[in-house]
Order: sequence, then C-alpha cells, then structure tokens
Amino acid sequence: MQLYEPTSATPRRKANRAPALASIAGLRIGILENGKLNAEEMLNEFAALFVKRHGCTVRTLASKSNASAPAPANTLLKVAQEVDFLITGLGD
Amino acid sequence: MAPYGTDLVLDGMLAFGKSTIASAGSHAMPAASPRIHEVPDDLLAAIDYCYEQGWTDGLPVIPPIVDRVEAMLAIDDRPAETVIARHPATGLELSLHSAAVNAVMAGCLPEHFPVLVAAFAAMDRPDFNFHGSTASTGGSAPLLIVSGPYADEIGMNSDVNLFGPGNRPNATIGRAVRLILRNVFQMLPGISDKSTQGNPGKYSFCIDERARGNPWPLLCETQGYGGGGSSVTVFAAGGFCNVENHGGNTPEQILSSVADAMANYGCITLGQSVVVLAPEHMRIIGDAGWSREKAQDFLFTHAKRPVEGMQGVGKYRDREYDTQHGKGAHALAEKGFMHRGLVPADILITMGGGDAGGHSCFIPSWSRGRGSIMQHSPIRVPRRS
Repeated sequence: MQLYEPTSATPRRKANRAPALASIAGLRIGILENGKLNAEEMLNEFAALFVKRHGCTVRTLASKSNASAPAPANTLLKVAQEVDFLITGLGD
Repeated sequence: MAPYGTDLVLDGMLAFGKSTIASAGSHAMPAASPRIHEVPDDLLAAIDYCYEQGWTDGLPVIPPIVDRVEAMLAIDDRPAETVIARHPATGLELSLHSAAVNAVMAGCLPEHFPVLVAAFAAMDRPDFNFHGSTASTGGSAPLLIVSGPYADEIGMNSDVNLFGPGNRPNATIGRAVRLILRNVFQMLPGISDKSTQGNPGKYSFCIDERARGNPWPLLCETQGYGGGGSSVTVFAAGGFCNVENHGGNTPEQILSSVADAMANYGCITLGQSVVVLAPEHMRIIGDAGWSREKAQDFLFTHAKRPVEGMQGVGKYRDREYDTQHGKGAHALAEKGFMHRGLVPADILITMGGGDAGGHSCFIPSWSRGRGSIMQHSPIRVPRRS
C-alpha cells in the first residue's frame, strides 16, 4: 500500500542566526512592542537594564499594529538601519 | 528587583550566549515532490502507521492511499502543485495536492473538496491572519459557514443538530481544515499552537446556512455570489454560546437575550461576532418584518457594557485598543459604553438548526479587535461532464 505524506512539500525556510555581536557595550537598542497591555512597560524596563549595565542607548521604539501578525518587513528594515540589536516580547 | 523581573531574564539571556541576541535570516527553498510511504497491505496497520507518524488529530484517519488522493484531485482542473495558501510566518505552502491528501485522511469525498479549497482561499487573505488565530493562546477554531446551492448538492446539514455530529460533509470538511493546519502548516499543540484551553471546534467546525424558511438573502447573495453561486465564510471563532429563549415572542425579546450573551464580561471585546438564529427565533423576527440590517443594528446597540464596569473587571484597555486598532478605531460608539464590535456590520447573522427549539447561538471572535477579520470566497463548482 502506498500512502502520500500529508505535510507540505515546501521545505521549511532555513533560518540562520546573524553573526554574534562581539560586545554589547555602548550599542544602540531598538524596541519592538506588540501593542498588548504592558508590552511597552516591560520592554522599556528591560532596555533600561542594558543601558544601566552595558552603557547602551535606546534609539527606536517600533509598534506593531497587529499583535499576532509578523512585523511588517518595512518596519524591520527601518529598525535594522538604526540599531545594533532589537529586543521584543509579548505583552498581556 | 524590577517589577517585571526583567533583570533575571537579562541575566539568563546573557548566560545563554551572545547568539541569543543575534537576528535571523531566511531563505525560501523550492518545493519537492510529494513523498510516498510504502506500508503493508493492511488497513488497520496503515491507520496505526498514520498515528505513529503524528498525522492525526487524535482520532483515526483514512490512510491517504495514492489512488484516493488522485480521485480527490481530479475534481479540480488545476495542476496538483497549485498553491492555494501560504503560512505567513514559516513560508510553508498548501498545494492542492497536500490539501487532497488531508481531505482523504479526514474522510472527505471528492465533491467536498471544492468547499475545503474555497475555505483556504479565504483564510489565505492577510486580514484573516490564520497564523495568529491558530497559534494564539485564545484557542480559536476556524468556523466555516457554507452558503448556497452547492451545500445542498453535496448533502450538507443546515438543519437539526447543526453543530453536532452525524453529517459527513459537515464533519469531514471541518476536520480536513484542522488536519491541514496540523500537517501542512505544522500548527502543533504545545509547540506552535499555544491554545490555553483549545476549543471543541478545533476537531471540526463547519455548517451549512439554512435556506429553507430563511426570510433574508443568503450570505452568498449578499457577498455577490448570487445567480447560483455558492460561498464559504471563514471566521476565527472562539467557543460556542447557546442562547436559550422559549418565552420571547417579539424580535426585541429574542434579540435582547442574544445581545446579553454577546456582552457578558467574559466575551465582550471589540471583535466581530457570528449569530446563528434558530428557525423558531428567526420566524418571530422575520414575521415582524425585520431585515438583517435592522437586527444587526439592534444587537450592536444593546450588546454593550458601561466603561466603569469594564474597568471594574480590568478589561478596559484604552491604550491597547488605541495601539492595535488604529486611529479612531477604538472610539466609543456611545459615551460611557463599550459595545461588542466596532459597527453593526461586525455582527454576521444567519439562520440554522432544526425547526423545534428556542436555541440560537452566539460565537465570539478569537480576536479582541481587528486581529482577524472574517473572509469569504466563492466555491469553484466542478464542471459537469
């Protein structure tokens, strides 16, 4: 008996990590918040620890208009040009 | 310690390694040919094999034997590799072929397949946001409402026990949706499907809109598919809420009980709604000459809670709505009150169920706002030879 496999024939996207940062001292931080309750507060507090401990600067706060959808590509492209690393996370 | 415990999180991240704070890139790969599994000629063993591969929803499936899949595909005149939906986050694609494999597994017959294909054409629209609605803790299930003559042609149920078991196309088309989400799009419970409690509709949630005795235009007609056309409406649905009213004899009495269910503190959000009126209730509303639009206006006007009550239960989140729903979208329709939905048209009302019984239902949206908007698509009725 021959059975077809029910999964997608499309291979999963190959995800590659960017090269690790040699140091985070003094780097520029971006924040991407998803718009849910407490998201901005939590991420700002998180960024403040990078500022305090590693001398980072917070450069950009970007917001998603739809918490459950991927961030628009133009948002990510814009943020990528302005910061050295991005922090994000869920609110609620 | 910081109130959100972020200092501990940061310690953990830095201990884990610097790669944690690196970004990721991705590359699309070309599709491969569908894989075939050789199994012994033993049907029960083949069912067990499907379990072992992790291909089921927990219930036994029809093994997707090559011949059955080819028969399913024959009803659609497009090439089997035609892509009908894409996962916005992973890039995984749903081809007609993989849809047919899962349709066989769910127990569909070939004539059911056009409904399934239309459902995914609708779910593929960005505004439906099927990644969010299937991954979220909210436990959403895609509700399919089939409208028009094709539903009758394939023997769908719009009558007694509408949401219950017993009808093959209702049960298997809805089940095929779940199997595709699981097998093709890899929305796996606990991994990529993070539903807190889930929803029984995640096994199957597919109904036919009742035409018999319905005083209003069918959904397919209001959607522009009249003249014999049929359609599927998809809605990222929360749980099912029965609305019982055997004593009301006016539209206001019936719809007030529906509006109250829509506005309970557990359910009320700015999201869309589906209301399926029992024939007994619809007869009262229709005989009084109420149109669908008048009923929508009534429900929107009465499905509301005072802002101070919303604040009292911790659910009034003005800034959240402001951020998520765009300029003006969060504005209150009536000073001091929050209504369910943003406008009356956010409430889809139709009819379904058996002749006897004052049991209608309200089905809330998964989304608390505009995170998923219901969509519809025409059914490509197969050409007759």
